[in-house]
Amino acid sequence: MDKYSRATIREFMSPSNIGYIDDPSGMGHIADNADAVELTFFISVDAGHITDAKYRIAGCTALISTLSVLSKELPGKTIDEALVLDMSYLSGLLDGLPESKWRCAGYAVQALHLAIEDYQSKGEATAG
Amino acid sequence: MERIVYMDNAATTPVDSAVLDEMKPFFTEQFANPMTYAHSSPGDVAHVAVEEARVRVASLIGSKPEQVMFTSGGTESDNWVLKGTVERASRERLHKPGHLVTAEFEHHAILHSALALQRQGYDVTFVKVGHSGIVDPDDVRRAMRPTTALVSIMHANNEIGTIQPVADIARIAHEHGALMHTDAVQTTAHVPVDVDTLGVDFLSVSAHKFNGPKGVGILFVRDQAALYPFIDGGGQEWGLRGSTHNVPGIVGLGKAAQLGKERLPRELERLTMLRDMLLTKLSAQIDGIVVNGDMKQRVPQNLNIRIEGIDNEPLLLAMNEAGIIAAGGSACNALETLASHVLTSIGCDLKEAKSSLRLSLGYATTTEDVNYAIDVIPGLVKFLRSMA
Repeated sequence: MDKYSRATIREFMSPSNIGYIDDPSGMGHIADNADAVELTFFISVDAGHITDAKYRIAGCTALISTLSVLSKELPGKTIDEALVLDMSYLSGLLDGLPESKWRCAGYAVQALHLAIEDYQSKGEATAG
Repeated sequence: MERIVYMDNAATTPVDSAVLDEMKPFFTEQFANPMTYAHSSPGDVAHVAVEEARVRVASLIGSKPEQVMFTSGGTESDNWVLKGTVERASRERLHKPGHLVTAEFEHHAILHSALALQRQGYDVTFVKVGHSGIVDPDDVRRAMRPTTALVSIMHANNEIGTIQPVADIARIAHEHGALMHTDAVQTTAHVPVDVDTLGVDFLSVSAHKFNGPKGVGILFVRDQAALYPFIDGGGQEWGLRGSTHNVPGIVGLGKAAQLGKERLPRELERLTMLRDMLLTKLSAQIDGIVVNGDMKQRVPQNLNIRIEGIDNEPLLLAMNEAGIIAAGGSACNALETLASHVLTSIGCDLKEAKSSLRLSLGYATTTEDVNYAIDVIPGLVKFLRSMA
């Protein structure tokens, strides 16, 4: 049955870390009209560790709650540790997302990866 | 107890207590099979009750009692009329595969029956619908062919509530030698439905949309010679629809029809007023509300709006948390993540379709319910918009 867990609904009704980071280390943006999604993900990185994660979101319940748990997981993690976070892990934090919602919730992971790429490309630009 | 404001009456309605009271004896002490009436007194009690229900339904839709065929609901009625008429006309009159004309935004009971006919080699035209959510009779006229056996256009759409020019379309169907069906599931007992005024040969009704029980409906059949049976079985319903009568359900439908007829004029006025108040007050507090479909030619109980920048899925969940039950698309497709075919058929893009909310009122809806929705929904929209 495609039904949200109470944990998912609780997370969605009071999501953590909604907002902007001024001058972020990395930023990822996703807009998909067909899925009615518009998402911007911000990270701050200091000394190889993510120190803060925030996002702006117009999208479905699954995506909002996934972004919320993801943003709480990130602080303190290295980039490599952050890249390991996937939908099966995040879904577990929400007591299981309905499988039909994984594709849309996956935008959270994609947006994080875009923010990391953005951060890494800036690093390369500085190094170059 | 937690407050529940039920605004999904287009999906289903609660059984009226007077309806339940009339049904109850037919589950227990009056359990006999109505087909046994000739030799059994208990059977006769059941038979009389079924026939009384038939009279009540006929009175609601302006037909003769013998033109009312009891079915398991709107979906069966729609399946029966589409398959039963197209197959019969093709075999007995046209001697080649017949043609069906229907519209893109019909209920899936019609659309999927039409596709089933198409798979079997019959021709189907799905007429397009404009922004107004109202079928243009001239589009139906252009779709007609010498082989058109049936035209089926719903009386009012189940998602946006727009009322269709069924009488005009019936005239066109008849001018071209075709029969006319309308799915009146969303209109019966909500606006006047009269089979002669509409000029239809067939009409589908479902009891649970007007405070009757689930699992029972009717197909109005003007001329029994026009269609094949769909459920083959015993001699029930003039041999056109086998299966032991669902006596409690039929009795409940009859009572709901009687109550619906009595209540209609007042409810039409009351629900129109409440619905219009809901729109006016929500629009005053929420920017970017657009009504889907024509607002004037619409059943009184329906409001379908899109709210700019909102995904209806989290809005519906947040409303549910606040005790307000509503819908995005139709309940029959609530598990699909696809945008509503009705909204895309009237020109909404996917984002607009996914930002749409259907609020449908009913006999049990009070002014306090509507005021609660007016108080709560704007805050939830603000909550969602604050994340974007």
